[in-house]
Amino acid sequence: MKTGFSVFLAALVAFGASWLGLVYGPLQQLGGAKETTVLQSGDKWPAQRTGAATLGLQVYQGNGCAACHTEQVHQTGAANVISITDLGSHKAADLRDFITSLMVVPELMNCSNAVTGNLAGWNGELPKVLYCGAQDTVVSLLGDKLKAVGVKTEPRVIATGADIARGWGTRQSVAADYLYDSPVPLGSLRAGPDLAAIGVRAPDLNWQLEHLYAPRSVVKDSTMPAFRYLFTVQKVGASPAPDALVLPREFAPADGYEVVPTAEARQLAAYLVSLKNNVPLYEAPFTPITAAK
Amino acid sequence: MSDETKPCCSSGNGEPTATRSAAPMWIIVVTLVLLFAGALFLDSHSGWFDKNVYAPYQSATQLESFQPKSGAAAALARGKGVYESVCGICHGSDGLGKPGQAPALAGSEWVTTKGFDRLAHIPLAGVAGAIQVQGKDWNLNMAAMGAALPDDDLAAVLTYIRVSWGNKASAVTGDDIKKIRSEMGKTSSAYSAEQLKAMPE
Repeated sequence: MKTGFSVFLAALVAFGASWLGLVYGPLQQLGGAKETTVLQSGDKWPAQRTGAATLGLQVYQGNGCAACHTEQVHQTGAANVISITDLGSHKAADLRDFITSLMVVPELMNCSNAVTGNLAGWNGELPKVLYCGAQDTVVSLLGDKLKAVGVKTEPRVIATGADIARGWGTRQSVAADYLYDSPVPLGSLRAGPDLAAIGVRAPDLNWQLEHLYAPRSVVKDSTMPAFRYLFTVQKVGASPAPDALVLPREFAPADGYEVVPTAEARQLAAYLVSLKNNVPLYEAPFTPITAAK
Repeated sequence: MSDETKPCCSSGNGEPTATRSAAPMWIIVVTLVLLFAGALFLDSHSGWFDKNVYAPYQSATQLESFQPKSGAAAALARGKGVYESVCGICHGSDGLGKPGQAPALAGSEWVTTKGFDRLAHIPLAGVAGAIQVQGKDWNLNMAAMGAALPDDDLAAVLTYIRVSWGNKASAVTGDDIKKIRSEMGKTSSAYSAEQLKAMPE
């Protein structure tokens, strides 16, 4: 074959380029990933899972949970938001005029329509969102100007997107979230809700166990199959088992019997409550809502 | 560079044979230009392969503009910056101190006090002579490293050392430092450990 060497070279370039782009490049980019620091605190992220939760990932994998559940929150945008939290000694109408008069400042002219639109028909209810957009300079400038006249404002950064609007998370999932997952159960079909932050939404182990045994006992129209084989139905002994599930009448076993979770069910529940992505990171920033100080 | 089949002219019997012919130069040039432009577009819209930049953010600058700038996060970031340029040289960027230079701040009973009055006096006036930190004896001099810092910066750096490396103590504000400074007046000599201990926490 006269062209044998050329074919070999072409194949080498084609496979080599794919390897560079799909293996070597990502490895260089994220291969050295370590724990990162949570914004606004010295805490490390992610936290190492407990032993039971680590085993729970295998139960999650073994039962094919990833076939119907994803563990990835998507985000389509972010916004800098400033809202008024305290009027000070001002009246809403006066403040509206004052803020409108600020709009001649060159840095604020771009957002003039947005801000005056937000203020239209405002009667002083708080908190009042003044600006929600991309420019952080607008937020800091408005904050400074209003602070100077004794009005308190609160700047925030929020992540936006359909997943976040559904309450599936407060920010998008990033590589750091999966540092201790092997394999990473990203999932691709959402027959059920996304679970990246299920530990935030349902942090109660008993809720998780009850939901695994009889999904419709806690979520009315759930389409999830019941994972009853992860539980043992046994005769009540001299005294009821301390970890027996407390079920509504309709889902409870016959009288004299009780439902006790197996080790696997416990591990899976421990894994599920360990799923959280509710902390702000540098690569996925947002302002957490904390208790007022 | 594809092999083409074309009737061979020399033999004249019409039997086709494979020969070589070069692809037109303009196609090669256009392909390369398109590849280059495409790579540039990809790079600039993916933050130049920065590991911290995820879609929808397109660049590190854009990501920076969405970092929370107020409140605790901003103060901490500022405190970290000040710490690393002023304090970290001796106390170490990990807060573990350096033998013969400065004691540890991580877990130090001088740092994680209930209040911050005593702690704030240390950078404002300095410390001289023997001092015991976490059961270890030190006998060194610390200059008034914080005396020249603005109130907000000093407050930020004190907050940073009080909440970092496992320390969990309350935050300090610029107004607190202002008050402490005005109460101190024009004290210029460094404190001894006994003087510091006599102060309220």
